[in-house]
Amino acid sequence: MTATMTGLSAASASTTLLGFLILMTAVLVVLLIAKPGITETLSGKFLAFAGLFLFPLLAGYGGLALHLDHSKRTEFCLSCHVMERYGRSLLLDDRSHIPAVHFQNHLVPREAACYTCHTDYTLFGGFSSKARGLRHFYAQYLGTVPERVELYSPYNNRECLHCHNGSRSFEENPVHSADPGIMASIRSNQLSCIGCHNLMHDIENLEGAALWRETVP
Amino acid sequence: MQRHLRISGILILAGLLTEVGSLLWSHPACFFVFLILGGSLLLSGMLLFLYYLVSGSGAAAQQADGVREAT
Repeated sequence: MTATMTGLSAASASTTLLGFLILMTAVLVVLLIAKPGITETLSGKFLAFAGLFLFPLLAGYGGLALHLDHSKRTEFCLSCHVMERYGRSLLLDDRSHIPAVHFQNHLVPREAACYTCHTDYTLFGGFSSKARGLRHFYAQYLGTVPERVELYSPYNNRECLHCHNGSRSFEENPVHSADPGIMASIRSNQLSCIGCHNLMHDIENLEGAALWRETVP
Repeated sequence: MQRHLRISGILILAGLLTEVGSLLWSHPACFFVFLILGGSLLLSGMLLFLYYLVSGSGAAAQQADGVREAT
């Protein structure tokens, strides 16, 4: 929760800063359009450089960064029609349903639920996730959306262990700790977490299933 | 030259408006509107300004050479 609040504060601060930068750029640009003659002086030339090159460059970069931040949001993922059922599966009233339990109990940040689980926690994992998003955009608007959406590769335990490793409930679970080899297999990705914890999204059985609430909060 | 500045400013202003508009919604299409339309407008405005700088410097240098030759 604290990490979420810190993240929200950082996002608000960067949005405010970007807004200020865009406003400053707009003011300078309007001034230069209205009075281009001010560039005849040296200070006017510096002003023109700032208003027509430096500030727009920073504003463009800031906008790109903010858009990439938006792409991590749950609402961003669920805005495509093909994701509607996956979004509803987060609201299933079923404690054995892994995504629903994580989402409803704030075990993952609600505003970035999809990204938290479906990003590789490798050095360029975030970047490759966003690049995959480009492929999804192409499929959604220019290509064909497959009937069945599947992961590109088997789900790696690393993504679960990113949060669960070291937690008491994971370490002291009687099944996990029954044999020393089991933990080693989990950590080395030889024994898949979703081999046992295998109720994921389950969109085929959404019709008529009980929901915690009607819409994603 | 002032005309170049005005056109550059208008392009950049249009790019900024596109950027602000695209940031109001969290949707993949908005990202691409920002990237393609907004980015093109901003980039063309900045490049036009840089061209104005270079061509303006070139013209000023030629003028200075002409004055030196005349004297």
